[in-house]
Amino acid sequence: MPRTYSGIREQREYTDTYLDLAGSSLQIEQDFKKKCIKNADRTFSQSYQCQELNSISALLSVNDAVLIAHAPQGCVGCITMGADMYRVAQIHRGAEKITSPKILITNLDQSDVIMGGEGKLRESIRLASERYKPKLIFVFTSCASGIIGDDVDAIVREAQPDTEALIVPVHCDGFRSKICASGYDAAFIAISKFVLKGAVPKKEKGLINLFAPMTVSFADQLEIEKLLRRIGLKSNFLPFFSDYDKVLNIPNAEASTSICKVFADEFMKDIEHDFGIPYAHTVMPVGIRNTDKWYRAIAEITGKGDEVEEIIATEHARIQPELDKIKLKLQGKSVFICGGTGRSFAAATLIDDFGMKLLGIETPVYDLDAQDDIAFLNDIHGDYLIDVANMLPFEQVNIVNKLKPDVFIGVPSWSSRFGIPTTHILDPKRPTMGYDGIVWLGNKIAAQIENPGFNKKLSKYARLPYRESWYDEDPFKFIKEVI
Amino acid sequence: MSIVTENPRGSCVLGGINSTLSAVNKFCPIFHSGPGCGLQTSAGEAGQAGLKSPHFLSSVSLPCSLMLEREVVFGGIEKLTDTIRGSIDIIDADAYFILNGCTSGIIGDDTETVAKGFRAEGFPVYNIPTPGFAGDSNLGYETTISTFLSQLVEPGRPRQANLINLLGIFPYHDPYWAGTFEELVRIFSKLGLEVNTFFSHGQGIEHIKNAGAAALNVIVNPWLLQGEARKFEKRFGVPSLRFPGLPVGATDTTRLVRQVADALAIDGKLVEDVIYEEESYVYNYYETAIGALSWKKFAVIGDANVAIGMTHALANDLGFTPVVTVVTEPVSREADKAAIRDRIQDLEYVKGPDVVFATDNYDVGRALDEYNDVSLFVGSSLEREIAFNRDAQIFVAAYPITDQLILNRTYSGYRGAITLVEDLFNNL
Repeated sequence: MPRTYSGIREQREYTDTYLDLAGSSLQIEQDFKKKCIKNADRTFSQSYQCQELNSISALLSVNDAVLIAHAPQGCVGCITMGADMYRVAQIHRGAEKITSPKILITNLDQSDVIMGGEGKLRESIRLASERYKPKLIFVFTSCASGIIGDDVDAIVREAQPDTEALIVPVHCDGFRSKICASGYDAAFIAISKFVLKGAVPKKEKGLINLFAPMTVSFADQLEIEKLLRRIGLKSNFLPFFSDYDKVLNIPNAEASTSICKVFADEFMKDIEHDFGIPYAHTVMPVGIRNTDKWYRAIAEITGKGDEVEEIIATEHARIQPELDKIKLKLQGKSVFICGGTGRSFAAATLIDDFGMKLLGIETPVYDLDAQDDIAFLNDIHGDYLIDVANMLPFEQVNIVNKLKPDVFIGVPSWSSRFGIPTTHILDPKRPTMGYDGIVWLGNKIAAQIENPGFNKKLSKYARLPYRESWYDEDPFKFIKEVI
Repeated sequence: MSIVTENPRGSCVLGGINSTLSAVNKFCPIFHSGPGCGLQTSAGEAGQAGLKSPHFLSSVSLPCSLMLEREVVFGGIEKLTDTIRGSIDIIDADAYFILNGCTSGIIGDDTETVAKGFRAEGFPVYNIPTPGFAGDSNLGYETTISTFLSQLVEPGRPRQANLINLLGIFPYHDPYWAGTFEELVRIFSKLGLEVNTFFSHGQGIEHIKNAGAAALNVIVNPWLLQGEARKFEKRFGVPSLRFPGLPVGATDTTRLVRQVADALAIDGKLVEDVIYEEESYVYNYYETAIGALSWKKFAVIGDANVAIGMTHALANDLGFTPVVTVVTEPVSREADKAAIRDRIQDLEYVKGPDVVFATDNYDVGRALDEYNDVSLFVGSSLEREIAFNRDAQIFVAAYPITDQLILNRTYSGYRGAITLVEDLFNNL
């Protein structure tokens, strides 16, 4: 039976999904198990990341593709900014010519909203073909195109016979999901349906689909590819910096894995279903436990279980002296973490490698997958505060001000202003993953805690937008039960 | 009518409103939109304008009603109302503004009534009804200034002869806005003027309220704010002096100073003393850099303000040779295009460059292909590619800028004239 996943993560049937939730980690783990978490919503919220952004960013660097956003001009803000990451990534990879991604926007306006924007979409497809003769054209939908009801699939069907490139519509209307990772799923569903459908795999022994989002640095790519190479596996790294041929190569792989928990996790089920490719869905390989776990999972399904144990033992022995030095500096420090799904849980395990203590964590989604991580983290750290939130700086400042952690790990924009040391384990330009990544991050965290001068001095003059009274209130007072 | 655009240099209306409001101290935008518009529009404007991020509210800290499927089908007024109450409850702002995303605009949520209801309760909540899809960020900037005029500026304040409103420099969309305001305020204060910028020097609601007391609007822009200028005149009796193009370089800065001084009848001796003092500051430094900059044939690619300012400064002040200037804003009125073209080509010694209007990045590239003798490109981060391919110098000085951190740097004014020469220097 074909899989019929809609691409909207909060609608997945095999898991309960909570987005407006906070409390003690031990309690939440119990409540989730007993299915007695109440449905809730926040009556006040700050902005989220929309799924359209994730869809486009997933496919931004497919080299022989042109991207079309069927949207008003504002909907590519993050992507035109992200183009910088694409250019920098080319420099890191030693490219001789640095190019910008090719993004066309249909620029829906007042009259299109009334009359339909289908003509502009046709024109965009024509322009994309004429200008760049790409192999792929991705068309992304938006809130506006979705609400006015433009039939994107029909236009693509009509245009395809006259277009050399394969046209792939990605349905990622921003208002359809509150979970931005849904956008990754939308991109992969489109690839399944339009690019890979009907492919006849020519299996290549040892070839691994290695799925990675755009935020993975080149250093991390090299590190992870190296780990796979050491157990005789070859990576098909994608979709970041890939191309049509690499996408077409997906069905030929022996197995799949991902380096982010919410990236390609549903897609790997699709290609298992369609092409019989087994997959490892585990954790982000940041920190010792996570790297081991990630490594073992892919080794297990490729029959490399014994080899991997030997390498893991060697790697542990190699980095142990460094870890001991780092631990001397970090032991006992308390931490608050805010991050995306993969990174936040990875950071929470990583800090245990250095003997640090988790006080609280902000993570965007609580579901079956998160429950796994939380159960694991509860064993290590005991009870701590969980805030299920997509950053929500207003809650963050309230909590951080109350918990007063020794260090904040995450986007530092707000916590820095309290004068506490801040650091991050997300770095699209430098190493974070694998065994070398652990040492790099440990030294970075130690160095940033040791030297908090910037934040301390700034805090005397810092301005945050919240009323003084807010800091005395319950940070979760806006989370209200919904019947 | 908008056109299909490759790598657009700007955001939607919400991007313009968000940029403008977030540059005013203690103003709180509230997005009535899908979940991503706050982040998208912040990234689309401030995120590409030298990376400086608004200190009060921006990106994921912007309140949002998070319109999802349910709100799109059943309306989102209830969620908006809750979001406004929450904003007032915890955010210490002087005014709150409802921004209407495509979702709200298309389904037609009556946000105006919501705003009126809050104002009736005594809360400063204002609606900006123009939805995201109605146009580009320029329209958002104009709409916001227009909202200030209709909602905030207080009528009947006594005229203040030495007060001017400095307009036309669109915060964040112009990456150098903060430095430019600081420099122009410094210069105008030497003439004894007080300046409302609304966006710099910690200015906020009180300065906006008092804008009707000004003796003059100085609009540094060749084409934006025409309707708003008429509104200012009609409603508050404040006339406008339009200075087309940023005052980059000493020549255009002096031109601006003289025009403002003339309009306000400032004592001629004071004006000439200030100009002499400032120009000698510039030229005394230039004297120490004679021969440092090698001669270039240059192209400028940028919005109209940059296109004029940079073409003038490089041609009139530095002796470079202009080849082509590409205006990347979607200017639709022929009269505006003509005025911009004339101003760009109005140079002191040399023939003006060809002027091309192109918003689409592909069209910009094709236009530049016609000129193979350009040795210096003055443009945005996007022009790095063409400069690299053609082995020419690139000077990034126009939005979008993603490869430089810009806090208070500017190329405008007298101090900016010195920074301009410093940054143009290239030892290759």
